[in-house]
Amino acid sequence: MVKFLSLLAKNLGRNKVRTTLTALAVLVLVAIYTLASTVTDTVGEAITELSSQSRLMVREKWIMPSRFPVRYLPKILAVKGVEDWTPWHFYFGTLDEAGHNIAGIATRMDNLCEMHSGMDDLDPALLSAMDREKNGVLMGRVIMDQMNWQVGQRFSVISSSHVGKNLEFQVVGVLGSNLWARNFFFREDYYQEGLGDKENVNVLWLRVSDEQTGKRVSADVERLFQNSREKLRVETESAGVGRFIGRADTLVNIINFVVGILLLDMVVVVSNSIGMTVRERRQEMAILKILGFQPSFIVAMVVGEAIVVGAAGGLCGAGLSCLVSALNAAGHLPTRIDFLMQFPIEVKFVLHGLLVGGAIGFLGSVLPARSAFKVRVAEAFSNVG
Amino acid sequence: MSAASELIVILENVHKEYRTGAGPLKVLQAVNLEIEAGEFVSLIGPSGSGKSTLLNLVAGLDKPTVGDVIVGGEIISDMDEAEVACWRSAHVGFIFQFYHLLPVLTAYENVELPLLLFDMTAARRRQQVLTALDLVGLCHRMSHRPGQLSGGEQQRVGIARALVTDPTLVVADEPTGDLDGHTSEEILDLLQAVHCDLGKTILLVTHDPRAAVRAQRLMRMDKGRLMEGRDTTLQEAFPTWPGATRG
Repeated sequence: MVKFLSLLAKNLGRNKVRTTLTALAVLVLVAIYTLASTVTDTVGEAITELSSQSRLMVREKWIMPSRFPVRYLPKILAVKGVEDWTPWHFYFGTLDEAGHNIAGIATRMDNLCEMHSGMDDLDPALLSAMDREKNGVLMGRVIMDQMNWQVGQRFSVISSSHVGKNLEFQVVGVLGSNLWARNFFFREDYYQEGLGDKENVNVLWLRVSDEQTGKRVSADVERLFQNSREKLRVETESAGVGRFIGRADTLVNIINFVVGILLLDMVVVVSNSIGMTVRERRQEMAILKILGFQPSFIVAMVVGEAIVVGAAGGLCGAGLSCLVSALNAAGHLPTRIDFLMQFPIEVKFVLHGLLVGGAIGFLGSVLPARSAFKVRVAEAFSNVG
Repeated sequence: MSAASELIVILENVHKEYRTGAGPLKVLQAVNLEIEAGEFVSLIGPSGSGKSTLLNLVAGLDKPTVGDVIVGGEIISDMDEAEVACWRSAHVGFIFQFYHLLPVLTAYENVELPLLLFDMTAARRRQQVLTALDLVGLCHRMSHRPGQLSGGEQQRVGIARALVTDPTLVVADEPTGDLDGHTSEEILDLLQAVHCDLGKTILLVTHDPRAAVRAQRLMRMDKGRLMEGRDTTLQEAFPTWPGATRG
């Protein structure tokens, strides 16, 4: 086995430029694959985490972004089956002249964890801190990394949703969940006082005991306001996410399609490269057969070389992506890459890269290996008759 | 070393045909051949006469259309591909016109290559490789790659590789075809030493009369038929060569 691997390594070193270029091609593709997989994985995680059927989202039926009167609340909360509730007030804007966008959500702090996904492990001390600081915020970790902020940071938002009404805030804690990585939460009373808007709410969240109750409550609430000026639409959290995902799905499908085409293309590139190697070495392979090596050994050698090149390229591609992502998050790159902040690449993708690269190598070696299998021993002899 | 009377190679009424677009092509017709253990046999003949086909059959690289090929007491024409590959690795040593060494391996590693198929310790393998390299006088060049060796040295490595498994039969396909006159003589001397000193049975296919006359027995192929007779075959094959009548 050691001798076999040694022979394999020597064969790979035979044409270093070609081997390196093939591995580089795999490296680039796997880096792209890693990024695309991170996006689709993150979206997938969001679907899983937000799959609650017992949280209902109440919104205005037609307007986007949703907005309806606060005076609706008493009627809604009186519907049988509603166990808890919290409002959402949207506050959008930029953090600086560089244009770092941010989306803030003003809501109740007393039931923050119960009414929001991904907040289960939130430190109670942070909620206490929010009680003390009226302009306090719980900030998504990506924004913290992006702005290189620490807890205690004071900042103002140049509002795009409430033009001319720029609020001042202070970070009192960081949200660990990926769901809220680019958002911040702040107190509803600060929103209402700061913006002078106590009459409307963007979204209302309701908690019910189970899915069946949720369906009944949804129907009741929609019926209550079916003849009002602002009609309401109620859906489960998972349905809401599904609707969002449905829109994002097109983009994800395009990404997957493009990556699929690239993977196929890469298989062809590897196949061509390995095919060239086999064509150049047909006589050597014939010699090996003459010496008594079985055709399966020749095939294993060709497939092994392709897998090693593919896996090495894949490992380096995914490793490089992870490294860049980590350096980016730590602020060690000259320019921050926002996309990586939004979809941080995890170390597990290094293994994925290894496997994907190896698989590309394997698939790319099928035709060349078939050709190598068919090498005739006569190809080694002189043509003396 | 084998007993002189023992038959190592037996071909009985061997025919070989290839299918072509224009119909079957008869390459060998009713070939009968016996080679004794320790014999040095040359096979000559014009291009397309069937020499290489005969060599391939004897070495287990091809199968006859009709007839039996028996080597070392085993009917190799009845073996399947895996069996014959295994048999070949143990019983046949090959020497090629263009040496066919693997360029990425050193001389030592090239000679070692056939031994990788055997279940033996690294120390035993090393001993056999060094013995073979010593036999061809190339121990001092064992860490050189083929590209760093002259043609004659490469052919010596090729001969060492052929002998390293201590085969029953050595087949040589135009071993001097790519060498100058002086180097050819050295290689032929070496082959003769392999025959005389080690008692190896050698089947040599050649176009070179100087190589052909080194053999004990000379055979000539013509239009798929095998003819024997030292003087007549030499004269017919090499009519302008002065040594043809010297026998």
